[in-house]
Amino acid sequence: MTVALTAGLLIAGAVYLFLQREMLRVILGFVLLGHGVNLILLAAGGTSRREEPFGTPDDPSTVADPLPQAFVLTAIVIAFSITIFMLVLAVTGGKDDDLTDTREDQRR
Amino acid sequence: VFVLLLSVATVVVASLLSVPLERWVSRAAGWILAVPLVAAAGFLAAAGSPVSVWVPWMPTLGVGIGLRLDGLAMLFALLVVLVGAAVLVYSARYLGSGRSGSFYLLMTAFAVSMLVLVLADDLVVLFVAWEATTLCSFFLIARSGPRAREPAIRTLLVTVAGGLSLLTAVVLMIVATGTTQLSAVLADPMWTREPGMTSVIAVLLIVAAFTKSAQFPFQAWLPDSMVAISPVSAYLHAAAMVKAGVYLVLRFSPAFETVAVWSVLLVAGGLFTAVFGAAAALRRSDLKELLAYSTMSQLGLLMALVGIGTEAALTAAVIHTLAHALFKSALFMLVGIIDHQAGTRDLRSLAGTRLRMPVTAAATAVAAASMAGVPLLFGFVSKESMFTAFVDAPGPGWVPVVVTTGAAITSVLTFAYSGRLALGALGGRTGRIVPEAPALLWAAPVVCAAMGVVFGVAPFVLDPLVSSATAAAAAQAAEVHLVLWHGVTVALLVSGLVLGTGTALVLWRRRVETVTARMAVPWSGLDVVDALRAGTIRAGARVAEWAANASPTRYLAVPTAGLVVLAVVGVGGIGTLPPIVGDPSRPLDWMLLALVAVGVVATVRARTRIAAVVVVGIVGFAMTLWFFVLGAADVALTQLLVEILTVAVMVLLLHRLPSRFAPDSTGRRTPAVVLAVAAGIATTFGVWALTGRRDISPAAQYFLREGPETTGGANIVNTILVDFRALDTLGELTVLGVAGLSVAALLSSRRLAPSRPVRLNEATPLSDARTNSVFVRTTVRMLGPIVVVISLVLLIRGHQEPGGGFIAALVGGAGCALLYFAAPSDAEVRIRWPYLVFIGAGVAIGVGTGLVGYLDGSFLTPLHTELFGISLTTALIFDVGVYFAVIGVVLAAFNLLGSPDRPPPEPDPTPGEHPEPVEDTRRADTVEVNAR
Repeated sequence: MTVALTAGLLIAGAVYLFLQREMLRVILGFVLLGHGVNLILLAAGGTSRREEPFGTPDDPSTVADPLPQAFVLTAIVIAFSITIFMLVLAVTGGKDDDLTDTREDQRR
Repeated sequence: VFVLLLSVATVVVASLLSVPLERWVSRAAGWILAVPLVAAAGFLAAAGSPVSVWVPWMPTLGVGIGLRLDGLAMLFALLVVLVGAAVLVYSARYLGSGRSGSFYLLMTAFAVSMLVLVLADDLVVLFVAWEATTLCSFFLIARSGPRAREPAIRTLLVTVAGGLSLLTAVVLMIVATGTTQLSAVLADPMWTREPGMTSVIAVLLIVAAFTKSAQFPFQAWLPDSMVAISPVSAYLHAAAMVKAGVYLVLRFSPAFETVAVWSVLLVAGGLFTAVFGAAAALRRSDLKELLAYSTMSQLGLLMALVGIGTEAALTAAVIHTLAHALFKSALFMLVGIIDHQAGTRDLRSLAGTRLRMPVTAAATAVAAASMAGVPLLFGFVSKESMFTAFVDAPGPGWVPVVVTTGAAITSVLTFAYSGRLALGALGGRTGRIVPEAPALLWAAPVVCAAMGVVFGVAPFVLDPLVSSATAAAAAQAAEVHLVLWHGVTVALLVSGLVLGTGTALVLWRRRVETVTARMAVPWSGLDVVDALRAGTIRAGARVAEWAANASPTRYLAVPTAGLVVLAVVGVGGIGTLPPIVGDPSRPLDWMLLALVAVGVVATVRARTRIAAVVVVGIVGFAMTLWFFVLGAADVALTQLLVEILTVAVMVLLLHRLPSRFAPDSTGRRTPAVVLAVAAGIATTFGVWALTGRRDISPAAQYFLREGPETTGGANIVNTILVDFRALDTLGELTVLGVAGLSVAALLSSRRLAPSRPVRLNEATPLSDARTNSVFVRTTVRMLGPIVVVISLVLLIRGHQEPGGGFIAALVGGAGCALLYFAAPSDAEVRIRWPYLVFIGAGVAIGVGTGLVGYLDGSFLTPLHTELFGISLTTALIFDVGVYFAVIGVVLAAFNLLGSPDRPPPEPDPTPGEHPEPVEDTRRADTVEVNAR
């Protein structure tokens, strides 16, 4: 239940942020989305077994599923590179939202 | 069987050799390339009657490279290679002295695909070859210069649409019969058992054939494609590719003998195109266009013959295919010669030139006469057999009358435009003198035209070929005896009538021209194709508009809302759930939940950019703890390092962005809150309902049981990354590399936004970067080597304990970040390393290790050895690849984003006021104006 609630919270925050105007908030939204999805992936392996998967265990019924962990590990690094890419987009845009000053915005 | 494969292989070799050969002897390569084509014809003839071969290609799908040589395939295959050889010989003199490697490559590749198409005994192979001919045609048209671009695209669109129709038919046939073998499909009882399916397939095949053979309503592309050079027109658009449609309907005619829609569509479409094309040809003054419409018209007759489907009709179709290929390819080549020598191929201009070209003129006259159906030429034999078939057409009494009339009208018009072509092109009596072309140029078309005379006088030499081809098309034994004189029959009377009327039309051609000039159609087929194309693009834009536009909010909201709707639908259909296994919640979890909640709320409510970046870090560190608690040590380490690096990169960019966010407007906030809450509830419900309700997965059991033993590594997650699922990881490395490259590309084409002013109190040491960074610099000097060592240790031990390439590289990256922040200014940072080389090396090492895996079976299989008592594995080398790629991306970020500002663009440089290069990010001059 706790994992489900955490994931829901992360996704809600992510969705709220990426419906905002500023590119940086959209990016932060994606960061939260990444966290949420990673957690869901781990949940898919089951969260009642939480022993670390090292070596051949004596009792497999307490060990966490290693496959989603491998997925999530690479997913984190890829999300990182995508975040960098989006950050670059945020600071290279010509008339990007991010680059508009608040005050200019209010003047319009 | 061997000879059959040999014939295809010969042409393939010719295709492979075409480019180097052209480099060597330039355009004369045509002569050499013609040799293997003729040899292939010899092999085919030697292979004899029905042989087939089957080489498995996709065994799990039952698809094989099946080739089968029967009478029909033999006829078309011989046409393909022999006309191909003739055209190649012609090309060797026709082409200019420029580079022509791509021409020879495409022509021979076309010969291969066409040969495979007619020999294919597998539906998938047939389809692939069909599409290959389409592509060759596209490229051959497109390479004829900038004017050819639009025609090439239009041709491609029409023929690819037909290809899709064929693909649909192929899929339906495979599903309905359960086999991909063409001969087995044709023999399947499905055709009589399922009339509905049979009719659908019939229509799909006819659409495919009509697009390829330029039949109404898909005819527009053929005259359009005449921008291609004459050898291409002669080969693809007269003798071979357009015949693929005819071949297709001939090949499938046994299956549709009794299907009404097949006969009706073929006869009606074919005859309409025949009359329409012939009438259009009579109006054209561009000789190649005239020939294109003529081709369309003649192919219409062939389609109608196949539609009638009696043995006589199929025989006539076979004979006329041959006759048409001979006279039409000859005419295209001859028109090419006239164009080449006289510099024009327009009848109006040619009237003002005197062609002193005895051989070309004679060959043109003979070929045109064969097209017109003059006795003693092959065209007469084919026309005669055609009328015989039409007169005896089955069905109600009006059918033979209508089809014979249609064919007769077509033939009269054919006679008229043939005469117009021959007399118009050669009849000029005034103006400049055009000399004869060299013998090597006219040799090939003259041979083609001469064959028309040989087969016209002695048609019986073709008896065996035509008989076996007819037998294959009719799926029953056939004995055909071609003779010149049938006695006085209805067909002969019709022929006589046609000759008489045609001669009259030729004699009074001036008057005919004034009449036809008025018969302009208000719109052309090309306009229809263009309108359809533009309309499709417009419709696509309209459909995509509400999801794909410049506002991220809109396109991000649409899929999110869609997912919420899906979740609501899912709740309805979820049924009873299995019980939750074990205890998925621990007391500590609630604290982490609270931590995440604080972080998320703070991030959402942050009003300045720097605050948002800092508090999103709370969530990141809470996630690290979550991963530890869930038993994912490696994941937690990765998360921790990525969190640090993300904040570091964001800090690099913050000074280029305004400090505050715009105030949220209620109009934007309310829907965002509603959607966010809905998405959150949907997620929670989904995770609660769909996870944690089963025991450990079989995959996990396998990895836990086998991992340490097969790989020698105890860190199961790492063994999954570098041993079991290394291909996934390699893909991910590539994605990383592409992201790094994209950042580099983006920054080389667009500049970073300028830094914004920072107001510093000049009185404090903070304002001086050099003094300010002393502490960090000293620390880095001590920490640097330690970071490097830790990074290497993590890399090496990754297979056994937490660590591995990803984590090690991130530690290394964090070290670089430290180096960066320790430098007093961007210009002095000492991390200008070749990050692109790192990324490339990473992916290359990954692929290289993968290739080494072939030593033991397959791509990316890890190899293990013992060396001096230490167990070594190629998985470790793979992990080094991971290391390089990841650190390359981190370095790319710091190098590219941390570089000093380039001089700002000067939108309107006034003389005398040159833009001064700005030195550093820490400048505070003009920008003060903008500061709050």
